[in-house]
Amino acid sequence: MWYGHNLQRSYKYMIFASKMPSLRIDQSDLKCKNGCDYFGNPQWQGYCSKCHREQLQRQRRAEKASSATLPKPEKKKPEQIIKLASHSSFSKFEEKRLRQSETLKKANLLKFSVFKKGSADEHDHTPERKLPEFKIPPQVNEGMKREFRVRFSNLPPQVDRESRVFVHNFVMDVIKCSNVMTVDELSERVQRHYQHFMKYMDTSPHFANTESEVKEQLIDFVEKHAMTYLHDLPGVVFSPAGTDDERLDRAMSERIQQLSWVGERHLECRLDRTDSRTGQLLYKAISELLAVDGAPGPGGKLARVRRACRHVLALCGAPASADDLLPALIFTVLKANPPRLVSNINFVTRFCNAQRLMTGEGGYYFTNLCCAVSFIENLTAESLNMDKKEFDCYMAMPASIGGSTWAAALSLCGAVREAEEQRLQAERLLEDVKTLRANTIQLATNAETFEKEIAHKVQDVLAKTPLEIKPRREPPKLSSLRNSTIPLIDLDTPVQTPVQIKPPEEIPQIQIPEINPVEETATMTFDKTNDGESTQNIIDFQSLDKPSPPKSPQNQPWELKQTGSFELLTPSPLGFIPFDSRSIDEVMTPDEFGSDHLAPGLSNINYDIDLSDFSGDNSLAEDTPKEPKDPFSPDGIKKEPIFDPFQPQTSQSPYNTVLEKFDEFSLVDTKSNEISEAFEVVHKTQNPSTVDFRPNTVPESTDPFSPVQKEASILDDSGSPTAASLLPSPLQPQTSKQS
Amino acid sequence: MTSGPYNYSYIFKYIIIGDMGVGKSCLLHQFTEKKFMADCPHTIGVEFGTRIIEVAGQKIKLQIWDTAGQERFRAVTRSYYRGAAGALMVYDITRRSTYNHLSSWLTDTRNLTNPSTVIFLIGNKSDLDGQRDVTYEEAKQFADENGLMFVEASAKTGQNVEEAFLETAKKIYQSIQDGRLDLNAAESGVQHKPASPGRPLAAPPAARDHCAC
Repeated sequence: MWYGHNLQRSYKYMIFASKMPSLRIDQSDLKCKNGCDYFGNPQWQGYCSKCHREQLQRQRRAEKASSATLPKPEKKKPEQIIKLASHSSFSKFEEKRLRQSETLKKANLLKFSVFKKGSADEHDHTPERKLPEFKIPPQVNEGMKREFRVRFSNLPPQVDRESRVFVHNFVMDVIKCSNVMTVDELSERVQRHYQHFMKYMDTSPHFANTESEVKEQLIDFVEKHAMTYLHDLPGVVFSPAGTDDERLDRAMSERIQQLSWVGERHLECRLDRTDSRTGQLLYKAISELLAVDGAPGPGGKLARVRRACRHVLALCGAPASADDLLPALIFTVLKANPPRLVSNINFVTRFCNAQRLMTGEGGYYFTNLCCAVSFIENLTAESLNMDKKEFDCYMAMPASIGGSTWAAALSLCGAVREAEEQRLQAERLLEDVKTLRANTIQLATNAETFEKEIAHKVQDVLAKTPLEIKPRREPPKLSSLRNSTIPLIDLDTPVQTPVQIKPPEEIPQIQIPEINPVEETATMTFDKTNDGESTQNIIDFQSLDKPSPPKSPQNQPWELKQTGSFELLTPSPLGFIPFDSRSIDEVMTPDEFGSDHLAPGLSNINYDIDLSDFSGDNSLAEDTPKEPKDPFSPDGIKKEPIFDPFQPQTSQSPYNTVLEKFDEFSLVDTKSNEISEAFEVVHKTQNPSTVDFRPNTVPESTDPFSPVQKEASILDDSGSPTAASLLPSPLQPQTSKQS
Repeated sequence: MTSGPYNYSYIFKYIIIGDMGVGKSCLLHQFTEKKFMADCPHTIGVEFGTRIIEVAGQKIKLQIWDTAGQERFRAVTRSYYRGAAGALMVYDITRRSTYNHLSSWLTDTRNLTNPSTVIFLIGNKSDLDGQRDVTYEEAKQFADENGLMFVEASAKTGQNVEEAFLETAKKIYQSIQDGRLDLNAAESGVQHKPASPGRPLAAPPAARDHCAC
């Protein structure tokens, strides 16, 4: 809104320069015309933005007031409009079209004036500047390339290229010449182009084995693409500037309107107005004739004419000859009154390949159409075999009256046709509905069968996998883990005992095969989940120390796990933490451990850091000191789980709720192991993840070995847990020291 | 030389003229379809009014245009004549009026075609000899006077139909060989389709020099 001062000044300067030759602008010139202190702007008629808006509003208000007082101009001549409408509903459209085409022509003249000598003299610089604009749009080339590939795949690619080059030169030449030549000269030139191309086809080696049909198609193809583009350039080839094609179009249209009273009777053609088939055919023929104007190329127009004439021929009855065709065609043209008829005919005659026009069905029918049009042009009373007075009478009467019967018949045809189309559409819709219904039914049945199948499958699965008891028996793999956890603490003593007591009978049979696969998986899980299963690791670690030396077959899995945990633990300085944590119980011990492996000074620092790292542990570790009585704590102190074993023992009451939940499982699982339940529960609580529990519990029940262990462990836990755990703890430090 | 059923060296355009109802369409139909039109409903195939014949070893495609014969259309049917190499002028031997109109048809033909156009006079409906209204001799004399070829034919039986078309073609071909008929003229009614390979596309057409650009 507000420009910088300098910018505005220069702008103003330019605007007022013509007005003020002095080249000096007073400051007041830049101000708003209203006299307010703001700067004005020529875009706002010299006002500032605010004053300009106000001014506009004032103007609008004034306009509104004036329009309210004055009578509306449309009201003035309603009768005239009605008259016009009655005269012909077509006229309005016609006028509009003519106006449009005239403006188009003007625009075209401007556009192509570049090529005129006179204009070149006037504006010397324009031709050079505008010439490059007359490039043929690439769509023409692309369209040709595409169609050529589809239609003439047999012809060599050079033909494609050369025909495109030809079309390009052709179009450029025609555009160039369109303003310096008369239409007839241009037409001749175009015909020469066609002949030239035909000569090329006849002489080129690429066409040595090509059939003449293909050649004809190719020349049609070339003509189509060249002319389709030229056709759309207003005033070049279609109703060209300098001809009175357009005026003739109008005259023809008016004349046909005037002759609307001419019926089949006057033309002596055998048409039965009452026959619905006649009506249909006539309707089709008329629609084709009307479509001629819409077709861009001469070939397309010819094709429309051909189709229209075939309908007309069918209209005439079975043994139709030219004697019947021509009057029927005249009649059809009279009823159709095709738009821009003369322009279209002239366009085709001038710029269609002359040989095509002189031969072939299209040419023949087109010739008939020309005859029909020229007959209508020169129509007299004589040519209709009627009295001159009667003819004059007919011609004098308003165009709307004549031919009303046929008009009615045709409009009926139109309605019938529309009805027919709608009926067909309705049929199609009905068909769609049917298929849709069938589909829905199909879908419903599918869903039903699917449901049944699923139900079936579920039942099968249920049948295959009986009651809840089974699944609990199934996962024996993790039972070993469970076993591991249990014995970790308890086994210390019992492991030795079962090995000694019962191994020969049961262990080799069941445990070994089951455990072996477990071992692998177990080690894997340990490696992956150090943090999550740290409890197990620790437990394993503990157990490692002890079982490794005895090495009973049952304990082999344990050993593997323990080694895994060791590997993880040892490399990191944390690996020593356990020792520190153990030492936490005996506050002074860490220094001793540290001295073993690390520098004494560092050990002290490490000790602090370790505690901070295991924040959870630390808190627990702090707790542990409360229970330092147990020698177990040092062994498992590394992490939380270490406490767990103690907690159940020491504080069973807080875990009771949790235990009860697990008790249910345990009860179900191991009905036989009544005694062991309590023991199991303790272990579950120790492990934070429930998943571990279930497998653990189940295998225990299945494993014949576990109960033995449990029994032993129970005894240990209930009776003298401390004693059992006490033993391992001294062992671990020894092992760690060794490693 | 080209081969195959659809290859031909020339296209000759014929027109059939004559009064309404003399059987122009029937003659055409008899020639192209070898059937009488009343026996089978007229169907317009893809190849409209054409037939390929052979003259002196050359395949020639005949393109035959039927015309409307009504008197009132006479003035407007001249565009039919454009570029016709042969004109078959037909009258009905059972109707004298059709014969009487021949002179006006001949005048039109002479005026609207080029001098080399071959005009063939056909007296149709020779099968209806009992109803004959025009004698063979009379017509023959008319033909000779005007330098026309003449034959009496029957579209119904097919008698002489073939001959009339073939003789016309021979005559046209003869005039081509003699050089009387200029193949390059647009209105000659003859298209030559040389099938020998030659030069590729040369420079664009002549008559460029006067272009102002």
